[in-house]
Amino acid sequence: MVRQISSEFRNEIMEIKHVGVTLSYCYQCGTCSGGCPSFRFTGTFNPRRIIEDVLLGFKEELLRDPIIWCCCVCHECLEHCPQGVLVSELLMKIRELATKYDNIPDNFRAEVETLVNTGQINPKNPAVDRRRVSLGLKEAPAAPVEEIKKLIEITGLINFLPEKKEVE
Amino acid sequence: MEFALFLGCNIPNRLPHIELAVRKVLPEFGVELKDLDGFGCCPDPIGIQALSHEAWATLAARNITVAEQAGLDILTLCMGCFETLKTINYEIKHDPELKEKINSHLSKIGREIKGTIKVVGILELLYRDIGIEQIKSKVIRPLNGLKVAAHYGCHALKPHYIIQFDDPSMPKSLDELIDATGAKSMPYLNKHLCCGTGISGINEKAQLSMIRAKFSEIVRTNLDCIVTLCPLCYIQLEMGQMLVNREFGDNFKIPVFHYAELLALAMGIDEKELGFKLHRVKVQPALEIISKKE
Repeated sequence: MVRQISSEFRNEIMEIKHVGVTLSYCYQCGTCSGGCPSFRFTGTFNPRRIIEDVLLGFKEELLRDPIIWCCCVCHECLEHCPQGVLVSELLMKIRELATKYDNIPDNFRAEVETLVNTGQINPKNPAVDRRRVSLGLKEAPAAPVEEIKKLIEITGLINFLPEKKEVE
Repeated sequence: MEFALFLGCNIPNRLPHIELAVRKVLPEFGVELKDLDGFGCCPDPIGIQALSHEAWATLAARNITVAEQAGLDILTLCMGCFETLKTINYEIKHDPELKEKINSHLSKIGREIKGTIKVVGILELLYRDIGIEQIKSKVIRPLNGLKVAAHYGCHALKPHYIIQFDDPSMPKSLDELIDATGAKSMPYLNKHLCCGTGISGINEKAQLSMIRAKFSEIVRTNLDCIVTLCPLCYIQLEMGQMLVNREFGDNFKIPVFHYAELLALAMGIDEKELGFKLHRVKVQPALEIISKKE
């Protein structure tokens, strides 16, 4: 298979405010991968390799690859990079670009759905509220759903709701 | 000290016993916790941020405006909320363009973020603002003999350029806080290993392997319990042990405490007044060690 190269990918990332410019400091030493818990336990999520793919321009291949969602966001890589590359924050931006290729894990879509409906990600529920009262706490506060829903619509987050399954 | 208490989602709706301990302990140090109406999800710094930075920032900013209107700094109990609110509070102060974009969204719901308040995490509050000496002065029942595995939680310390607290490579705040209760924070391998919450639902096998690596060392080092300040880590560490036992046939049953619970015990608060019955891993073995040494 011939790999598609985008000569613009690198610049596209570099233009991302504050974070992007640090891409060019990377000399591929692999300290990021050495300290990465996800790399240690998946053996396939390799932050150095992801940065290399950006530098070499393997845009579509990378942005369609579900492996990019295996980052724990623990920021070990960012703290330990000898060059000051904001690795975990670059990875975050790469995942945001991947949404344009419909490369989004189901559980994050489900998270958006709960957020739209309740204004929370782990919403208030009657069983825990009873437990709260038995502990002498007040019932859990509810979130202002309408305000939050409006912002989710305005900012476009609403586009990431779970895809409707075709009914057979 | 007066704060708008930002509970987040996980503590009030899944771990009320942590909220209970925090509400019992902090006022003893002159911390006044105000419950404001209008907070929502922080939102999640992993999923929501990855999908849309703009949405993440705007929703976080909305929460900050609630505290700004009340003229109060925010205290967060959850390290996820801490990461989100601290980062956005930092970004709006360093990126006027982003602030303008956020405010154009917020204007549609009649809000505006100004950048007038601070976001403080519970670890910062305990260690920096209250301080070890103050904490020691309230300990009337030292937890002598309890060997503790400290678990910081990644977002309590990182990214350091935003959080600017303690040393993310070799932190000491939580260890010293644990020692202040009379218990002893012990070194163990994999101490700074992430709990893996960020990939739960994405790669369960890798996530459980992280938990397993951590608890294998805690058992090998013969420690009595694990203590954290983050509710997400707490859930991973507690539920994770049960899932690891099922998946790998292990038999981990290391009690998991929130630091506020440990401190409450050391301050002489009766264990019956705390919500230990809501722990999924029984805490009795750790409580017995404390009462034996008394």
